[in-house]
Amino acid sequence: MTTIIKRNNWAIWRDVIFALFVREIRTSFNDRLGLAWAVINPLAFIFMLSYLRGRMNGGETHSIPTFEFMMYGMLFIQLFLDTLMNCSNSLKKNKALFAFRQVQPISSIIATGAFYFLVKLMVYLLILVIMYFIGMDYRIDDPLSIIINAFALWLIAMSLGLLIAIFQCYVPEISKIQSVLTRPLFFISAVFFSMQDVPKEYWHYLDWNPILHAIELSRHAAYHSYSSEAVSEFYLFTSGLILFFFSLSIYHISWKQAISR
Amino acid sequence: MIRLENVTKYYPSSLGKQFIFDNLNFEIPSGHNIAILGSNGAGKSTLFRILAGSEYPNKGRVVTDLHLSWPVALTTGIHPQMSGAENARFIGMINGVADLDAYVNRVRQFAELGPKFDLPVGTYSSGMKPRLAFACSIGIDFDIYLIDEVTSVGDAKFRNKARKALTQKSKTANVIMVSHEMDELRHFCDSAIVLHKGQLTFYNDLEQGIAQYQAL
Repeated sequence: MTTIIKRNNWAIWRDVIFALFVREIRTSFNDRLGLAWAVINPLAFIFMLSYLRGRMNGGETHSIPTFEFMMYGMLFIQLFLDTLMNCSNSLKKNKALFAFRQVQPISSIIATGAFYFLVKLMVYLLILVIMYFIGMDYRIDDPLSIIINAFALWLIAMSLGLLIAIFQCYVPEISKIQSVLTRPLFFISAVFFSMQDVPKEYWHYLDWNPILHAIELSRHAAYHSYSSEAVSEFYLFTSGLILFFFSLSIYHISWKQAISR
Repeated sequence: MIRLENVTKYYPSSLGKQFIFDNLNFEIPSGHNIAILGSNGAGKSTLFRILAGSEYPNKGRVVTDLHLSWPVALTTGIHPQMSGAENARFIGMINGVADLDAYVNRVRQFAELGPKFDLPVGTYSSGMKPRLAFACSIGIDFDIYLIDEVTSVGDAKFRNKARKALTQKSKTANVIMVSHEMDELRHFCDSAIVLHKGQLTFYNDLEQGIAQYQAL
């Protein structure tokens, strides 16, 4: 008959997150385009935007190739928006699964977040491979720093996603407001402009936004010649940590009631 | 033994809090196959979900040292876009089944869905989903199975099979069951809990419980 492994809590967590992760892979790209869409979508955007900006300034933007300039902007904002959107919907989507006592809401958030992080990582590597084969020059001066920036941005997205997901259980209308609030992020996060295009006296209108910090820092990490005067790593990491702990505390006091409504 | 300690459960609504249980203390004795009787909306499914840990009471807690199944209702935890096999594997993984392939095979044989077992659950007929759900739960050894009306759907052949499997299981495990068909309950259960106005009453004799319930 069935042997059930006696597991400690960590092993249960690991198994549940893995199972949810596999399920995420199976159900997220279920149409005919499948996983290819995850690559084609950002690639098309990057090509279009870098073509437009390339026409204006001849292929180089503030000392880095326009294609890579757009690539970091586009990949980072998509990493943020995809993680945020899918994490905040994952509680609603997986609600039926909380019938299994082993499945806790946070596992579903972690599985979703990890999945979208890996998707974007794959897209990034794939783009680098494509660039290599078509003979485009590229430089990555400080790869570690790019990874850390991406991770910090992802942590912010996941924390915000967790917060929104929990609020949504109490106030379902949040999801409508959420799309209104996230749309402008695409335009104010330095995806297709640089802080160097903006006069210094207006920086304070934009530099509260940690996504902008992550994007500009990554461009600087890839090409040290690109100026990162307007942004700071300290700000990015601090806002990440604060949001992370805040969302975990909210989660801790409210998850049982949130799924019992 | 399952003990409910000071359990309070309500659902918010536009008419204020709808109380299902208010400060309920109760002990469900072990070693019985128990039928839960109550009129529609009395809170049978809520009680089930609280016992299984699918939902949490607003106050109080449930204490138990037993291994309870999830509430096996019509489609609990079954994803419509994944196939029957994938769903079974998922459930096996979550519950810590050691040999997943063997488990999925057993579910395949028990559910008797034929080639449909490898197609998305969304394409199943309404009688086939509970067959899958039931097969998944009976394939895992629990101390107590929480069965919510599942055995009363499906065709005669499957019902027979489900009965046999549950009878087999009841040598080593117990069931707690919700059903509106008294024949079904008489077959599996030996005692009853009547749920009325947020209060639970245990009857050692099933017939006594049924008589009480029908007199309500």
